Amino acid sequence: MLIVLGIYTVVTKKNLIKTVIGLSLIDYGVNLLIVSVGFNAGGSAPIFTFNEIKPDTFFVDPVPQALTLTSIVIGACVTAMTLSLVIKIKDKYGTIDADKVRRLNG
Amino acid sequence: MMQHYPVLSIIILFLGAFLNALFGGKSSIVRNIITFLSTGTSFLLILLLIKPIMLEGKVISYWMGNWIPVSDWAIGIGLEVDQLSLFFALLVSFTVFLSGIYSFKYMENDDTLDKYYVLYLMLSGGVMGFVLSGDIFNMFVMIEIFTFAAVALTAFRNYIEGALEAAFKYIVIGSIGSSFILAGTTLLYAQLHTLNMAQIAALMHKNYTPITLFSLGLMFTGYAVKSFIVPCHAAAPDAYMTAPSSISMLFSGMVNKAGVYGMIRLLYMLFQSINLPSMQILIIILGTITMFIGVTMALIQNDFKRLLAFHSISQIGYVITGIGLSTALGITGGLYHALNHTLFKGLLFLCAGAVFYSVGTTDLNKLGGLAKKMPHTALIFLIGAFSISGLPPFNGFVSKWLIYQSAYEEGFVIVTIIALLVSVLTLASFIKVTQSVFFGQLSKECENAKEVPIGMRIPMWIMAFMCFITGILPQYVTKYLITPAVSATLNIGKYIDAMLKDGYAEKYFKETVPVPNINYKLAGYWRPEYYLILFIIILLAFTLTVLAGGIDVNRRSIVSKEIEDYKYDTFYSGEKSEYSQVGGADLFWGLKYDFRKYFNFMHSAHSGVVNDYTLWIISTAAIVIAYIFLLVP
Repeated sequence: MLIVLGIYTVVTKKNLIKTVIGLSLIDYGVNLLIVSVGFNAGGSAPIFTFNEIKPDTFFVDPVPQALTLTSIVIGACVTAMTLSLVIKIKDKYGTIDADKVRRLNG
Repeated sequence: MMQHYPVLSIIILFLGAFLNALFGGKSSIVRNIITFLSTGTSFLLILLLIKPIMLEGKVISYWMGNWIPVSDWAIGIGLEVDQLSLFFALLVSFTVFLSGIYSFKYMENDDTLDKYYVLYLMLSGGVMGFVLSGDIFNMFVMIEIFTFAAVALTAFRNYIEGALEAAFKYIVIGSIGSSFILAGTTLLYAQLHTLNMAQIAALMHKNYTPITLFSLGLMFTGYAVKSFIVPCHAAAPDAYMTAPSSISMLFSGMVNKAGVYGMIRLLYMLFQSINLPSMQILIIILGTITMFIGVTMALIQNDFKRLLAFHSISQIGYVITGIGLSTALGITGGLYHALNHTLFKGLLFLCAGAVFYSVGTTDLNKLGGLAKKMPHTALIFLIGAFSISGLPPFNGFVSKWLIYQSAYEEGFVIVTIIALLVSVLTLASFIKVTQSVFFGQLSKECENAKEVPIGMRIPMWIMAFMCFITGILPQYVTKYLITPAVSATLNIGKYIDAMLKDGYAEKYFKETVPVPNINYKLAGYWRPEYYLILFIIILLAFTLTVLAGGIDVNRRSIVSKEIEDYKYDTFYSGEKSEYSQVGGADLFWGLKYDFRKYFNFMHSAHSGVVNDYTLWIISTAAIVIAYIFLLVP
């Protein structure tokens, strides 16, 4: 749902800042998807302990959490990079309307 | 010792980036030495791998941190180098090495060069890690690394008109592509609980669920965005045009190829048993559209580098078509064309860079008569132009021929015809470039042009030489490079065995697919009837040119009333002055006039609005996914 909302934002909104928000929404949606993949109802945290591992203890899958961490970092980079580009575009073009930032076309 | 080479060749590039960030600001000599050493060592390590992998047929696997699989279940991140990976790694390291040498001179007038080299090495390391990785999440991370570096490098010369805008479009489109790849990866993990490519391929053999098919659609679109095939190509020309030429060369030489590599791995490895002929039609249609739109858009461009960028897209169409044919011959043609594309497109971008270096513009209407001032560059450019248009004995001919032939054998006659037509149009548009940049009257801007320094000419000559070599010796090139890679693509049992343990793949993949040896006959040499066809192609190109001029003559009376401009006078009998320059935009003016509806439509479709481009990608994703669910059983 978040992904779809993000895509909708990127496709329809002409404001470049809103485009960036849309990208972040897509990213968060994917992150949520990854975490939900690894979720086991009632599982405990995947931390290695020396004591009291009972036979019926089970963990949530640790791999998706690691993936999510990586993905969050990458998402933050995307946001930072795009926002800095937006600032530069505003400096140079004087506008952040996608319809006016189209000197390269055809 | 051997199994450490792949990881070292990746790490050394990142190490170089790190050292450049620390010490590169001091002086240009330190910077150049670090860059030269790291790219050179990486290239050397990859070269050393040729003997065991390509000739002896070994597959090297390496587990990061020695996390070897426990009871056949891959846990750690694996690097794995088979013939296909090594083929692409070779392309990457070769391009990086030459481009590095070229940038020492080419970039000397820019400031903050330490950052340039940091990003440059990050880009190379990212692509290198991507092609050598055996883990789909690791591939995603590497994609993100090189996309960031590529975006930053696109905006590097931000005084060039539109560089920032191009970078913004690139990052929006690129990160949507990456999100698709990540979502696809996640869905695969949800189904199979492993990220290792070899294991996924084995587990998913003839065992598909709707979720895995959906993830195939997502990942396919993601890689299509990364390799810039139409209609996901819109950001590419902008980025190629505004980035420094040494970087444009990297874009077309390896960033594109990384997408192609991802696509091959996806189709021939992960979803190997999906009954490829059913995917064939989709891929071939995409490839053919890419070819055609790329070249027609190139015809109407007025900027040297933008034109080359559209040609780059068009050539990627050939590669994709060859791969989509899914026969051994088709893949051979596709991979051969990938190799040739790296060589001649890199060469052409370097020439464009040389022109920019000495004149300061890449606008075709302002250039002219440079052959007198820059004879070396003009000669090298001609070699590149002949190669890309597929004239024998240069390399484009061989690979294009293989693709025509395999398309014809598979019964896609229309594809063959379109591919031929595209080749003719490519030649036509390179005639236009050669005419308006290197021949004709010397323009005002070019009067002070000088030949570029020797440091820039050496990489160009090496590339030109390679173009020639791969053109006249196709049987050796295929024997030592292409055929092992094709056989690795089609027979993945060995890859899986090397990753997990011997005999693991046996229960899934029994039969091996033979790969024919490519000899002169298959490569189209010394068969008289083929030369006849070739002659017809050249004749067609010639008539097209004449036609373009001829139509102008017929329309003379109408035109001269409408347009009171003496620049069209060259086409008519009475010239105003003895020397008149035919501008780049005007040479195929007749052709453009006849098909003006199509060209106008294409022109307005590339609107430059980032929202439209995103919409194209989303529609592509929707079509691909719908196709997979409807037609793939």
